[in-house]
Amino acid sequence: MANFDLKDRAAIVGVGNSLFGRRLMRSPIDLACDAIVNALDDAGLTKRQLDGLIVSFGSPIGADADTLAQVLGLELRTYNQTWAHGRFTASCIQWAAMLVNAGLANAVACLAAVSFSGLRRPMMGGSGDREGAREAGGGHGEDPVYGMTSPGAGAALVARRYFERYGCGNRELAAVPIAFRKHASKNPAAIMRDVFDVDDYQRSRFVCEPLHLLDYCLINDGASCVIVTTSERARDCRKAPVYISGMQGLPAGRDEFIWAYPGLGVAQQRSFDYQAGLQPVYQMAGITPHDVDGLFTYDAFSILVWIALERWGFCKPGEAASFTQEGRIELGGELPMNTNGGLLSEGHIMGWNHQVEIVRQLRGECGERQIQQAEIIQWANAYGDSLIYHR
Amino acid sequence: MAETQYQKPLPAISSLNKPFWDALKNRELRLQKCDKCGLIWYPPAPLCPDCWARKFTWVQLSGRGRVNSWVVFHQSYFKGFDDELPYNVAEVELDEGPRLLTNLVDIPNDQIRAGLRVEITFEDVTSDITLAKFRPIEIRRS
Ligand SMILES: [Zn+2]
Repeated sequence: MANFDLKDRAAIVGVGNSLFGRRLMRSPIDLACDAIVNALDDAGLTKRQLDGLIVSFGSPIGADADTLAQVLGLELRTYNQTWAHGRFTASCIQWAAMLVNAGLANAVACLAAVSFSGLRRPMMGGSGDREGAREAGGGHGEDPVYGMTSPGAGAALVARRYFERYGCGNRELAAVPIAFRKHASKNPAAIMRDVFDVDDYQRSRFVCEPLHLLDYCLINDGASCVIVTTSERARDCRKAPVYISGMQGLPAGRDEFIWAYPGLGVAQQRSFDYQAGLQPVYQMAGITPHDVDGLFTYDAFSILVWIALERWGFCKPGEAASFTQEGRIELGGELPMNTNGGLLSEGHIMGWNHQVEIVRQLRGECGERQIQQAEIIQWANAYGDSLIYHR
Repeated sequence: MAETQYQKPLPAISSLNKPFWDALKNRELRLQKCDKCGLIWYPPAPLCPDCWARKFTWVQLSGRGRVNSWVVFHQSYFKGFDDELPYNVAEVELDEGPRLLTNLVDIPNDQIRAGLRVEITFEDVTSDITLAKFRPIEIRRS
């Protein structure tokens, strides 16, 4: 065990984004190229020094790892790829940390590129969604036979369950997208930058009730990349390393539903009172949630922010509705979250744009949206995986 | 008389779920029950997902349960559902435990509530496929 303790053994040394936009009319490979080039430049590394690649969201909406290597002339010793979901961000970075520490690669680029530009109906779900019709149900509770389709519908089912169980509703949930839009208004790279209030939120149309349009993430084009290497090599790179001190993998089973923690009682989950305890990621990093200066989470739908806060023990089940009020998750608040604007307002790069922002926060590069004295930032999701970073 | 073409997505019948769909066609709701530990589960599996016993029985269920959660679709995703927008999808918790996704019928969307008692109603949609929908259990008034 001792020779493979990964605490502080890997670091992110470079981060890069492409342009983000709604109709860039640029291909996924085109966008991925910008993110990789920018991340390598940020790290002060050359193409020759990059020998590993992990892609979290492939074709046809994204770019596949093998094609990227061919088209961009990469010389890889190892590559890997998940299937096309946003949920694999932490997993990819965890695998990269293992690869570089096991000696199978020196520097690994982890990325996602997405381009919805070329699609006639740029949306998730519906008749084009083959995974939603897979054996035994889709990845977000899809059941097309009854019209149940799209990732957002699964989140709406969780939101309704949550509202009913804890006695709250859209008026409280609005605080989440409002907060992240405020953050995006300070981020020149964000796609949606106009702030709105609770009345604007309530007036926005329902997509899948109880979720409004403003509870939904963007569907867009863009790419983000991070470069992972060993902490030893990281010290020779251009900028100060951002170390990975805690990791927790992606859980699955009958008590898991992608948008809910165990016990909430959605899909085939048992219904019970969930208790977060001190999750393994904190034990590995040697910290508690109180030590976290900023929290980032996969906010494809605003309800996921409540679920994540409760899952990781920032508040108890049923308390996120009040916890997220009065600016607590905004810049200057007790626990700033998704300071880039998140998937809700900066752009949906499968959570990779969040990793870029975390690194920039820990380097102090975020200008007017900088979290003061940020030392420890966590990536922690509704679906149960996490990374803890520190400078 | 020409049968109007059914426009909504149809289930994919597999080696695992065929007894479920065959039962619905016979106006019965059946799920697997473990012969060893008694668990009744959904979706259909090759073994008991708890104790991994291979022996199970497709038992007939009451067809009754309660609404656990529900959503209302306001956006069009499937042509076949467009005429029904906004339409509901509910998650019904059967009295025997498993939860099924379904559509609630005989109730306006704004009357749906968590905990509402419902019972199965069978809807033949093609000559081969019958769907399990649910409706409120009638409270008889004098
Ligand atoms: Zn069993």
